[in-house]
Amino acid sequence: MLVCMSHQGVAQSKKRKANKDTKEWRYDLSCEGIAKQGSKLVKVWSYSKSPKFAIAQAKKNAVHGIIFKGFAGGGAGCTSFKPLYDEPSIKEDHEAFFELLFKDGGAYMKYVSSATDGNIAAGDRLKISKKEYKIGLVVDVLTDQLRKKLEAEGIIKGLNSGF
Amino acid sequence: MKKYIILVLSIVLLQSYTSSAQAKKPTIMIVPSDVWCNQNGYMQRYNNQGAIVSIPDYKRAFQENAEVLQVISQINGMMADRGFPLKNMESAIKTLEANAAEDNMRTSKETGAAVNESPIDALKKVAKADVIMQLTWTVNKTGPKKSITFNLQGLDAYTDKQVATATGTGAPSFSAETPVLLSEAVISHIDNFTASLQTHFDDMFENGREIIVRIQKWDDWDGDLEKEYGDEELGTIIEDWMAENTLKGRFSTTDMTEDMALFEQVRIPLLNEKGRAIDARKFVKKLSKMLKKEPYMIPNKLVMKGLGRATIILGSK
Repeated sequence: MLVCMSHQGVAQSKKRKANKDTKEWRYDLSCEGIAKQGSKLVKVWSYSKSPKFAIAQAKKNAVHGIIFKGFAGGGAGCTSFKPLYDEPSIKEDHEAFFELLFKDGGAYMKYVSSATDGNIAAGDRLKISKKEYKIGLVVDVLTDQLRKKLEAEGIIKGLNSGF
Repeated sequence: MKKYIILVLSIVLLQSYTSSAQAKKPTIMIVPSDVWCNQNGYMQRYNNQGAIVSIPDYKRAFQENAEVLQVISQINGMMADRGFPLKNMESAIKTLEANAAEDNMRTSKETGAAVNESPIDALKKVAKADVIMQLTWTVNKTGPKKSITFNLQGLDAYTDKQVATATGTGAPSFSAETPVLLSEAVISHIDNFTASLQTHFDDMFENGREIIVRIQKWDDWDGDLEKEYGDEELGTIIEDWMAENTLKGRFSTTDMTEDMALFEQVRIPLLNEKGRAIDARKFVKKLSKMLKKEPYMIPNKLVMKGLGRATIILGSK
């Protein structure tokens, strides 16, 4: 029973660490190609002591990245993408919304899906130190739906707001 | 008590009216660029007193080129999805033609008179919008590989400034058809275009709408912009009015002669003091009224072009 509890404790601690990394922008986002209309195909690189947690955190990081980070253009016809929330820091009255959106199993799951059924290519599983992995996962983020949600919540302005 | 209730109700109604007041929404239209029309053979050429002049033949482009329709339709759809439906140029051209035909046939039931149209009215009968989205693409071929260079420019029809842009070359492909590559180009560029357009609108809401104001005079008017009223010349008086009425006093006097004045980068508020949306014509109307009154007593004509350009012609209506 004690072993079981300690396992749970370690898992919780890793989860907390992964969430902290997301908040501190400790992930990388790059464009993987042209997705269908209204979505973005991105590869998100997450860091964790355990590959399992990095994979679990990848979807959250991808949605976080589309909202707050954006990505540079590159090959495969990719153009640069400005983040949806273009403020220097999160405004106080938006904090509650984002807390809810990014809580474990939160609403962010509605806006992202794994493009490769969760499979990681061999070159995308990197052991960067004795204790840490860097895992790259390709996901599809429904940017149009996400943008509309943020507009509806009054967090970002729509193109027609004010007219 | 009754009076008090009426007063409170009126304040509430006034507040709800002013808070719901919205700026005049600019119209946007996609237009194939001159370069694209020229490269694809959609130009009309005519001899203008010895000089060969080329102008784009938009009607033929819309009738004959399916790719231009595909791109415009896709962009229209994506902009409508963002709450900003665009004016469709092909439909605008057809409406103009239909209206012209109807106007030619229309006569008064009682007098048989035709619809009056001045040469200026005739000149103004073209498809127009406040912001033009100028579209260019070229298909690049290297051996069997094909790629698309795509360029979408948002141009303010009055200030001639580029207010939004998205441009780039897509990934080369061995197998994809041109329409597929075009569709990918639109998908990959539209977010950047709308982001830069949003920046333009944000600037407009913060610093006011940018317009052009021109002052001219009829050649039979005996006054000019150097005529003195008190210690000041008329041109300077108009300049002072601009400084007092523009948002944060922002405007540039580009030209000032005895016969004309040109003010550019004139920033006007989007709403007036009553909370009603205003454009260049409504803004300049105040200047027109001031000039008609004492001590100037200058009759004048106010002419407009869309939301962003107004001209006052001094001397008569």
